[in-house]
Amino acid sequence: MTTPSQSPVPARTPAPARVPVLDVRNLRVEYGGDGRAVVGADDVSFTIGAGEVFGLAGESGCGKSTVANALMRLLKPPARITAGTVTFKGCDVLAMDPRELRAFRWREIAMVFQSAMNSLNPVLTIGEQIGDIFTTHERMRKRQARARSGELLELVGIDPARLKSYPHQLSGGMRQRVVIAMAVALKPALLIMDEPTTALDVVVQQEIMAQIGDLQRELGFSVLFITHDMSLMVELSHRMGVMYGGRLVELAPAKELFADPLHPYTQALMNAFPPLTGPRVHLTGLADLPRTGTSCGFHAHCPDDRSDCSMNIPDLREVAAGRFVARTSGGAR
Amino acid sequence: MTDRATTTTRTPLMSVRGLTKDFRTGGLFSRDRHRALNAVDLDIPHGRIVALVGESGSGKSTLARCLARLEQPTSGQLLLDGRDVLRTQRRGASRAYRGTVQMVFQDPFGSLNPVHRVEHFLRRALLVHGRPAGEDELRELIATVGLSEDMLQSYPHELSGGQRQRVAIARALAVDPRLVLADEPTSMLDVSVRIGILNLMRRLRDEHGISMLYITHDLASARYVADTTQVLFAGELVEGGDSLALMDRPAHPYTRLLLSAVPDPERESGYDPVERAALRAAVLTPESCPYEDEGTCSRTEPVRHVIGEDEGQPHWVRCHLYAPATPTARRVLTAATPEAENA
Repeated sequence: MTTPSQSPVPARTPAPARVPVLDVRNLRVEYGGDGRAVVGADDVSFTIGAGEVFGLAGESGCGKSTVANALMRLLKPPARITAGTVTFKGCDVLAMDPRELRAFRWREIAMVFQSAMNSLNPVLTIGEQIGDIFTTHERMRKRQARARSGELLELVGIDPARLKSYPHQLSGGMRQRVVIAMAVALKPALLIMDEPTTALDVVVQQEIMAQIGDLQRELGFSVLFITHDMSLMVELSHRMGVMYGGRLVELAPAKELFADPLHPYTQALMNAFPPLTGPRVHLTGLADLPRTGTSCGFHAHCPDDRSDCSMNIPDLREVAAGRFVARTSGGAR
Repeated sequence: MTDRATTTTRTPLMSVRGLTKDFRTGGLFSRDRHRALNAVDLDIPHGRIVALVGESGSGKSTLARCLARLEQPTSGQLLLDGRDVLRTQRRGASRAYRGTVQMVFQDPFGSLNPVHRVEHFLRRALLVHGRPAGEDELRELIATVGLSEDMLQSYPHELSGGQRQRVAIARALAVDPRLVLADEPTSMLDVSVRIGILNLMRRLRDEHGISMLYITHDLASARYVADTTQVLFAGELVEGGDSLALMDRPAHPYTRLLLSAVPDPERESGYDPVERAALRAAVLTPESCPYEDEGTCSRTEPVRHVIGEDEGQPHWVRCHLYAPATPTARRVLTAATPEAENA
């Protein structure tokens, strides 16, 4: 096991206010095999500024997690990044060699995985697992690593005495906090959270999200937040994108998008959640149609006039300052 | 409307009285007990959907498993059409009981045997209960849950999560049950198909008159699908009433905590963090009720107090705050503005 002697990533200096931390351009990911290719993400472009919380919403299979894994270069064959660029603080992530990647991951971009609470090793104590980060990445001594691990646990509101516990001795919410603590251990500039609270119940979810908000304000990292829960996302993120069939169909400040969704798919996704207030209305939810080569899969439920529709998802167009929507010019409202 | 009024006066399909369930904890000879359910009283009327909400570990699933006779309750009564099945069928559920009460589990990926076709699951259920299991019956069954006929020949792995859950529901419906216990049927499913399952549940209630116990921690979906909602907290029911009324005017601190945790961008005034913290503390350590200092709360076991009535459903709560209409209680709970009737 070799650790790089020097970090290839430039030392962390505060980025100029205008330069985004992460800049993704025209990213395309394909899953090959069996002589056919499935497009996991297609022409995805977005930026995340310093200290910004950017949300990525969409149903299963829309490509949210594919994008997240592509940013970390975690995709394994048959998945391939076939086009686009990922620039992180001026560095081309897609051009990094394994050694550079090893130093880049976790120190610069850390990730809280889906069902993260099951990602802890059941036969190691919490302390050993957190300590690993420091001994590997920072070459700390065991004793020092243990002290830092204790501080980390305190940061997420867990008694440091729990360092001696095994994962099964903690509740789901506590395990999730441990995983979040591990993700922020090296003070990364960007934290990717892939459905961080899906397996938790509402009360714990609310507490974890509040905690992430506090940490984010305290440590100042940017967040790429992936979920299918639109309400949660609107509450937490500054800007958000909605993905469908591997493409971004709408990109806007979260509050504006919630108040006035422009793309029919965004409207449908918001309609998939019953409201907590107001009269009981009948909801229809979303269609169970796949996107194919000739159809966006959504046309059957599209409320718009489809006469000019090519049955494919058009490119994003800016319709107002900071608001992008995938629409053909005819489909104005 | 008249129909609803009459259903409430009829004997409920299933009544639970004083249901208590203890689990043994520790080793083989341990005498430690953990009380998962404590004296639960619950009615499930004919043709209604009753939601049971609460956090993880509150005992929701244990209650459903007791009702399905998968767990043997420690004490209490389980009245089906007014007859106590725990007394008449001591050793386990009879086939007739299983033909009346069916359960749909949370995980549609784990509850269907991967080596059989969909057809097999439905036919087995029909045959075991001595019903005709011809092609027509299967076709009718699969159409009821909104799947196409050709899916009868599919294997579970060829179906999406939502389709699998529909198959699981079809299997439960095969025996023509009167009560379906649905234990978080949508929580493992994708957002896009959740509403479809909820709409199916509503349709089964409206068209087939099937009663349901819908277990969930998603309060918004409970509000959407259920006629009445019961809140379970640490093994005890603490509040119940018409779903809309209960969520518009939550009375018990725990219900209010649950509701405050649901993300809702439309809610203008979020819950005060200080109040949230107090509620959370009250929930975590029952000894520290935040309202105790006000002299309104005695530590004796609270009883049910009816605080309102909506759609013919009494809205009740088990909390001392509602027992007497004291000025303190009124002041503390101004947000809830209960019609503090003396029960």
